[in-house]
Amino acid sequence: MFIRRSKRDLIELGEIEPIEGELLRQLPSYCDPSGDAKSEERLFSKPADPSEAQIIRDWEEFVRPEIRHLFLSARQVVEKDLEQLNSVSDSLEELSIPLPHGDAWLNTLNQARLVLAARYDFSEEELSSHESPKTFFQRDVALMQINFYAVIQERIIDALESG
Amino acid sequence: MGETDVETKTEVDLAIPWNVVVHNDPVNLMSYVTMVFQKVFGYAKEKAQKHMLEVHYKGRSIVWTGAREQAELYVQRLHGYLLLATLERTQ
Repeated sequence: MFIRRSKRDLIELGEIEPIEGELLRQLPSYCDPSGDAKSEERLFSKPADPSEAQIIRDWEEFVRPEIRHLFLSARQVVEKDLEQLNSVSDSLEELSIPLPHGDAWLNTLNQARLVLAARYDFSEEELSSHESPKTFFQRDVALMQINFYAVIQERIIDALESG
Repeated sequence: MGETDVETKTEVDLAIPWNVVVHNDPVNLMSYVTMVFQKVFGYAKEKAQKHMLEVHYKGRSIVWTGAREQAELYVQRLHGYLLLATLERTQ
């Protein structure tokens, strides 16, 4: 797969392999922290030390719903863009992301990476390791997904900054 | 505590400067954190990178100091980008 910025102000993902397409299609589903307290805690972290009880109470009442809405909106933008991909594919695919959708993609990729990292409780050392896994348990696959989404994030940042 | 005491305390809270602190998170990419600092605070790339590296190596960086209301807005924006950010009193 390659990722580049086109002259038509699009971020183009080309030559997407079937496995890459599948991981992209799954992206929005990994953003849901439901049922996992650690993921929920990471996506909606506290804005101050616990001693600042009033700030935290106000935040939970007024700000958290807005942030939840922001995350959901970003996911919806990505879901809409992903409709360009076939539901099942055994050939190379392409995906064009309008430049104004770049932030929504970065946000959604980050949501998925943070939820996966919290859910599988990866250490800093594991996250920065570039060794190939020796096993393929669900946890190993989750780490590969985090790294795959990180590469896409990096390329989208490059594309956004190359204007 | 009387009503006057509460009012005085609130006035003091608003008067003292507050820090916006960003904490290290091994998941967020360095390039992403730099980009967010540029977008949220309007920092030049060099200044944004300096704060990003401080977060990375020291675990936290005070990225802005000023009035509480503005500090709260900055923390809200940083959370919108999924950064670990908190509001702290300077005193």
